[in-house]
Amino acid sequence: MNGAPLLRLEGVRKSFRGVHAVTDASFAVARGSITGLIGPNGSGKSTTIDCLSGFQRPDAGRVLLDGQDITGLPAHLVARAGLRRSFQQVRLFDALSLRDNLMQAAQAADGVGWLGAVLRSPALRRAELAAAERAWLLLDQIGLTRLAESPAGALSYGQKKLAALAAALMPRPRLVVLDEPMAGVNPSRIVEVEAILRRLNAAGETFLIVEHNVDCIMRLCHEVVVFEQGRTLTSGPPAMVRDDPRVLEAYLGVPAAA
Amino acid sequence: MLRHLPPLLALLAAALLPALGASPYVLGIGITACIFTVGAASLNLIYGYAGLLSFAHLAFWGIGGYCTALGAVSLGIGFWGGLALAGLLNAALAVLVGIPALRLNRHSFVIVTLSFSLLTALVARDWVAVTGGPLGIPGLPAPELFGLSLRSPPRFYWLALAFAALSLALLRAVTTSRIGRTLKALRQNEPLAQAQGIAPTPYKLLAFAISAALCGMAGGMQVFYMQVVDPLILDFYYFQTFLVMMIVGGAGHFWAVVIAGIVMTVLPELLRATAELRMVIYGALLLFAMVAMPGGVAGALESWRDARRRATAERPDPVTAAAS
Repeated sequence: MNGAPLLRLEGVRKSFRGVHAVTDASFAVARGSITGLIGPNGSGKSTTIDCLSGFQRPDAGRVLLDGQDITGLPAHLVARAGLRRSFQQVRLFDALSLRDNLMQAAQAADGVGWLGAVLRSPALRRAELAAAERAWLLLDQIGLTRLAESPAGALSYGQKKLAALAAALMPRPRLVVLDEPMAGVNPSRIVEVEAILRRLNAAGETFLIVEHNVDCIMRLCHEVVVFEQGRTLTSGPPAMVRDDPRVLEAYLGVPAAA
Repeated sequence: MLRHLPPLLALLAAALLPALGASPYVLGIGITACIFTVGAASLNLIYGYAGLLSFAHLAFWGIGGYCTALGAVSLGIGFWGGLALAGLLNAALAVLVGIPALRLNRHSFVIVTLSFSLLTALVARDWVAVTGGPLGIPGLPAPELFGLSLRSPPRFYWLALAFAALSLALLRAVTTSRIGRTLKALRQNEPLAQAQGIAPTPYKLLAFAISAALCGMAGGMQVFYMQVVDPLILDFYYFQTFLVMMIVGGAGHFWAVVIAGIVMTVLPELLRATAELRMVIYGALLLFAMVAMPGGVAGALESWRDARRRATAERPDPVTAAAS
């Protein structure tokens, strides 16, 4: 967790027709950490995620991934730079099998072109073999091996969330951004998902997690960033953030002195 | 290699048709089946896989026809040169039309491609100096191979069969590659594909260009079969035929569309026995197919198989299922 941060946002701003969704998003994600992003509804978390993953172009500010300026790059180039994200409304290719979903997730990262794909070049076969191995490993880690050949659309909601996580991990990204991984997951299973994330983190994955479930964030994260009204309110270790009177105020709407 | 066996056997059987004493009438149906199946299969690549409904294929078909004819008649590059030019020109046109048409959304794509076909029909009729206007270019020479004329029905049939086999092989290679999977992925969930590093437009343009090239070359085959090219090559009838073949077969299902292309060329001929009722019966069959099988024959088979699988599947695992 030492050294320069893996992801850094500096003064990112985004408005939609005069609505200031994000006025100043500035925070960092340390390499090897699980960093949480919390804040009341409408505090600009989702817009910030869209800005750093290339789905929205920031009006101002900078996004640096491992020192590389990725501000305003389209989503597919952000992904190729090594940042993978999941979506709040879980997204999968419903008609493709779970296994094909994972294979598809890896393909843009392996450098095999169209001609190689049509002619089934040796490089393609090597890449697909490596991807298939990784897919099995990840399916094993999320416990969905036996559903590998099912269409993704036939999975339960919780299974889809795990599948989306595995898909994001397929190309060995530098950073995985998860947009509300616990939303809609049965409360009794949240601890299991937490365990999966912790295990992956121990194996070297860096996570940035947007989540409404504050308890889960406090348990899971090394560092917590708090958003309020479109800007970064504070950030720090969970214990520190929890006791910050400004955070209480942001969530409960009462003055800290009261 | 075993998976290549059934189509190769079918190809072999089809190639033996003239040797089995098939009449020119039967061979004519075979030629039409070969050419139309390529048209339907090319439409299947852009609509069935990439999810883009292209009305420009009528234009590509017509431009391919004119281009091949002009290659042989005016440019002196012969039938083969004309056919190759038809493929290249249509691929280039597809990219030119596709770039603006894909900038907006899937609906605007339909409108832009439709306009392109309507404009092409006007040009074919009014650019008399090149297209010959309403009279067209009659008396197209027979294609030749190593000095051998390919005019006789068996020879032209073999030419059409070889053309169809090569075209379908190319389409099959593309659709079964991960390009085909990516096209399906883009149709299902474009933002997810983008989040996985896929740039949508180049993939769609590639599918559009390959599809246009093959449809245009099929048009070239068609006009040399008819030995004339005139504005009727841009009749909506052709596009409608390809569309119906693709939809009844099952858009996005490779072999289903190929089989539908063959069956739906042969079927109207079989109904010739009842001259007056022919098109009524054909229309009723189409209507029935659409109402009973909105996903085409292949779609219906697939949902039936899925339903059976679901019925026999074990109960989902409680750990992961409970999350729903």
